[in-house]
Amino acid sequence: MQQFIYGLLLLIALAIPPIAHFMESVMIIHMHMQMPMVVFAGFLMARLFMDRFPRFFDKWNGNGVPGILLFVIIVGFWTLPRSMDDALTEQSVEVFKFVSLSLLAGFPLRDSWKRLNSLGKNILFIFFTILFLVVGWLYIDAPVQLCNNYLVIEQITLGWGFLTTAICIVIYLIYITFTDRTKYE
Amino acid sequence: METAINQTFKTKATKLLGVNKEDAKISKTYLFVSFVILLVGGFLGLAQGLNRAGLLELPSWLNYYQVLTMHGVFMLLAFTTFFTFGYLYAGLSHELGGLLPKVRKFVWTAFASKIIGAVLVVIPILMNEASVMYTFYPPLKAHPMFYIGLVFFAVGMWLCNVGAFIQVANWRKNNKGKHVPIFSYFATGINVLMFFALIPVAIEVLYLIPWSLGWVKTVNVMVSRTLFWAFGHTLVNIWYLTATSAWYVIAPKLIGGRRWSDTLTRVVIIALVIMNITGGFHHQIIDPGISLPVKMMHVFMSLAIGFPSLMTAWAMFAVFEKTARKQGGKGLIGWYKKMPWGDVRFLALFISMASFAPAGAGGIAQTTNQLDTVVHNTMWIVGHFHLTLGVTVALAFFGISYWLVPYISGRVLTPQINKLGVIQTWIWTIGMIFMSGAMHTVGLFGSPRRTSFTTYGDHATALGWNPYMMAMAVGGTLLIIGVILQVYAVINMMFFAPRGETEFPIAEAEENASPTPYWTERWGLWIVVMLLVVAMAYVVPLTEFIVNAPPGSPGFKTW
Repeated sequence: MQQFIYGLLLLIALAIPPIAHFMESVMIIHMHMQMPMVVFAGFLMARLFMDRFPRFFDKWNGNGVPGILLFVIIVGFWTLPRSMDDALTEQSVEVFKFVSLSLLAGFPLRDSWKRLNSLGKNILFIFFTILFLVVGWLYIDAPVQLCNNYLVIEQITLGWGFLTTAICIVIYLIYITFTDRTKYE
Repeated sequence: METAINQTFKTKATKLLGVNKEDAKISKTYLFVSFVILLVGGFLGLAQGLNRAGLLELPSWLNYYQVLTMHGVFMLLAFTTFFTFGYLYAGLSHELGGLLPKVRKFVWTAFASKIIGAVLVVIPILMNEASVMYTFYPPLKAHPMFYIGLVFFAVGMWLCNVGAFIQVANWRKNNKGKHVPIFSYFATGINVLMFFALIPVAIEVLYLIPWSLGWVKTVNVMVSRTLFWAFGHTLVNIWYLTATSAWYVIAPKLIGGRRWSDTLTRVVIIALVIMNITGGFHHQIIDPGISLPVKMMHVFMSLAIGFPSLMTAWAMFAVFEKTARKQGGKGLIGWYKKMPWGDVRFLALFISMASFAPAGAGGIAQTTNQLDTVVHNTMWIVGHFHLTLGVTVALAFFGISYWLVPYISGRVLTPQINKLGVIQTWIWTIGMIFMSGAMHTVGLFGSPRRTSFTTYGDHATALGWNPYMMAMAVGGTLLIIGVILQVYAVINMMFFAPRGETEFPIAEAEENASPTPYWTERWGLWIVVMLLVVAMAYVVPLTEFIVNAPPGSPGFKTW
């Protein structure tokens, strides 16, 4: 219950208009800070529902794959320039952003993560590495504005944000591949 | 099983035989160099302070900015890092059953590299070819030798880091599933932080070398400053974390108590490691070229670092109160009487800790854009870092020296030296109150930093600063007495004090402690999180500075 309340408070805080407006005023903060934080808020809130409705999650997300697919689709959608523009222009899409990233991305991520085996987790990491590299390249190299609401320089910054995140994931993958935990733990 | 037996045997042997001779030689050398540097740096500080107060005319072959650069380089880069490694390696050797022969080679090579680096840095400063101050901001251009020396110095630090990683990894292999002992855990955190903080400044220096040689005509000033502060701020926190290690691990033992929560201690270390490098940005809070929303975000990033510090303050006073009450201390404040105020090892650590309250509060004020606008280019900032480095860090290092030097030298702390230490600690404290207090105040009245003495054509405002300059000079004079006493005490404890056994005072974990979760040992993961935070924080200003770069700047020699 405590985690649910923390998650809900975080979600409400992020949705307060001045805060939302401030975070959305910088493209990279919009995508790489606000959106992950909304996912995290959902991640925190999920615990209560997982405890209350374990059979529902067992039935629909037994091996974690359906949940993680939903997570991938939702997050993938929100990496598109068009979706960000829509969120800034249409109030209903903005509401959908908060609802989808918390309920449809944060919830399934929490439930699926421990159900996935290490192969599934690694596939997910590799998928996001490739996605981030491609999207990063797209944002850096596009000669025109991809979002009506943000300048080209912000787009390039976001591109580099994607690339550096991808590099961090690669470092993590190298670390878990080349270090043998059983030697230390 | 076999390794476990070996380890127990080794630990027992270390306890019986005291300090490992070869490892002690390492720490002794590092500490000796560190305190010699303190002595020279102290005199330079005095010369600079008296000159700044208009009391001393420097000889024609030595100018204010030369002295300022040397004082900064000696105190900030050399004194602190030599001390830190001498201290950390003594602890690693003590806790992990002696250093591996391979690690010793790393540390000695590092020593050679750092000394070569230091010499290469000092020569051009003495030649008046590198009066660029310790921040070496371009477009001020130093002699190439200055930057090459910095590279050697950085390589030395990296070698020390790698040596510590090898030592800790080896211990973990031999002690599967166990938590790294607390002092070594601190050492790991400090080395991780230093290893990664050196990367940005290395990139900067590797760019400045061809620029200073004239191969590249111009330099991107804003990128250089940003890369510098990613390191500069972290360096400050490396000292701070070193001081913190003594507060958490050593201080409780000195007062006869136990450590506070082991989990909290480790979480504080992890939090400081993850959030620190990005804090560098608040040193640029009034730099141009950075948009206000980005500055706002960084205020949050910087204030986040304050959080583990508040946890530390709470934990420390909780330990003090708990221990004092156990020893019969009573009343709301009365329990303070039970603390060993006559023991320099504790007194110095306590004042170091207490001074961090005003120092940290000042830091928080400076992190705020509007407040920083008032004080940023004034003596206030100089006062601030004399309070943080000069009291919080230096007094912690001094306090440590009163047991560490006898420990590695196979000698004891005599009552006379203890008494001298207490006097030294008070002289130092009063000197710093004068100097740092005057600097803070005169800064609020607008006296600029990084300028030599001038009355601005006897302008009334500038003349109004003079009394504070006198207070600074008085403080500086007290401080040099403090330096001399401190160095005398160290030399005495190293070479002349009576022989005997001194303990390495590591406090035990609290009674009925709940087990520390194992995720605290997953440094690989924490490092990736740290890199991610760094990437997110720096991608915004750096992309802006590089993509929208103004024409680069040629070098200037303004002195």
